Amino acid sequence: MKKLTSILGHSGAIAALIIAVLGPFLLFGWFQKGIGAMGLKIHPSYSGGAVSRVVERAGYRIVVHARVGRTTPWQRVAPFVQADWVPASALPASVSDAVDVDGDGKPDFLVAFKPAELTVDAVALNPRYRPLHSRGVTSFSALIARVNGSIVVRIPVE
Amino acid sequence: MAEPLSTGRRSFWRSSLLTLPVLLWSMLMFSRALAQPGLAPKLAAFITLAFVVILFHQMMRTAETNRWRRYFFVALGFLFPIGFVWDLIALRGSMSIPVERMISGDTPFCFLAIPMMILPAALTKTVIFPGSILPTASNPHAIAAMVSLWLVATLALGKGWCAYGCFFGGIEEGFASFAKKPRIKRLDPRWRWMPWAVLAAVVLLSAVIVEPVYCSWLCPFKAVTEYPQVRSLETAAQAGIFISLFLGLVIVLPLLTKKRTQCSFLCPFGAFQSIFSKTSAVDVRIDTARCVPCNLCENNCPTLSIDRDAVKAGRPMMSCMRCGACVDICPRDAAVWHIKGTAPGAGGERARLLHLYAAWAFAVMFGGSIIANTLSKLIGLVV
Repeated sequence: MKKLTSILGHSGAIAALIIAVLGPFLLFGWFQKGIGAMGLKIHPSYSGGAVSRVVERAGYRIVVHARVGRTTPWQRVAPFVQADWVPASALPASVSDAVDVDGDGKPDFLVAFKPAELTVDAVALNPRYRPLHSRGVTSFSALIARVNGSIVVRIPVE
Repeated sequence: MAEPLSTGRRSFWRSSLLTLPVLLWSMLMFSRALAQPGLAPKLAAFITLAFVVILFHQMMRTAETNRWRRYFFVALGFLFPIGFVWDLIALRGSMSIPVERMISGDTPFCFLAIPMMILPAALTKTVIFPGSILPTASNPHAIAAMVSLWLVATLALGKGWCAYGCFFGGIEEGFASFAKKPRIKRLDPRWRWMPWAVLAAVVLLSAVIVEPVYCSWLCPFKAVTEYPQVRSLETAAQAGIFISLFLGLVIVLPLLTKKRTQCSFLCPFGAFQSIFSKTSAVDVRIDTARCVPCNLCENNCPTLSIDRDAVKAGRPMMSCMRCGACVDICPRDAAVWHIKGTAPGAGGERARLLHLYAAWAFAVMFGGSIIANTLSKLIGLVV
């Protein structure tokens, strides 16, 4: 029995060495692929959530994301809906758009912003949404920001 | 009285022979940097290569582990923030993370967030960190990359990550090395439980409020890496906490106690990593038959992992990070490296060698590349 445990112990120590040596050549790649295949996503309070629809406008498009709610009742980031104006370079000096989030044909809020100044005024046309008057980032759920060549607006939701 | 077990000093040539695998491994690891155009990366890679090989050679020659490991670890600890902040300044002109970068998933992932991610990932398949899952052009330090690295380190070294891999621990270990003698000698042992309490609190709170609480509120190393842009009273308070904890636990207390106080009293990742102490095949044992309780091991353990009960039990606590300080200091060779499943005291040097080859292979690959990268930037300033 002592010999067996000794063999197991030595095997473990040698396996540790092999793992350390194989790490940069094989294991990192395998583990990364494995983690990538797990289907994990960045929490929508950071990423903005899944894209629900894309609305084409003259020269630019509006990418509307699904509503991001609270995962738990104590989540610090309040519910919001995100819309991206893409590309920012094609936007006029002043933008005003009615956005239909759920695709029911009725606009849910009216957004007006100036891309150069990053100031936004959003009027809720649906009682589920809150008005927004922001210059830059107020919070994670109420903001206008330039992100990767687009203008991102997050409107707070009731 | 039992015979001494120590190997003692080895000859130069025998030490060189034992260092040969490390030399070959280091040449392989730095081959890409050595082939890069320009003098700075080549010189940095060469200096780092020489540094890690000489340190390992000294480990073999003197049979001391911790003294030489510490040089590497402190170099890593001090050079990592320099290189990291250098890149941040070059990329965005500031150490602060704007919300825009968080939304676009460009926050570099840090291993300290791993314990906080597990519950939300298991329950909701989402990661509560503003990074990216797989590496992108704008964020090579993606979550999958760092988690993979941590997995390899944990499988190979277990808790040894805290002595060979953690790029933060070297900062406080550096400050702990400055003073010759500790000003504060007695530390209440109950503080040892603090990292476990912090771990439990941040894991549960993070899952409940859906954000990495430790990163947002408690991480002292935000002071020397990156922190949320100060835009409100809340972010100002966060910055104040980061700086205070860094000054207190990473600089002042290590200077006064000669201990890694942040690791011993706060770090939830250290506590988390202690769980994997059991997975590594090599550990440290204390031969109670040889031990005359002189307390040298207890006084020299940087993470408070040895006390009288541990000595009586014949093994350090699970927070032992395999630094080898107790083995090096023990005048009677009672503290020994040990392969699990074998009798304590039998094959101590074999256990040490197996542990060191694995640990140094990882350290050179990971920490060595960080050291070389920062050195290259610094050398680039003058050549």
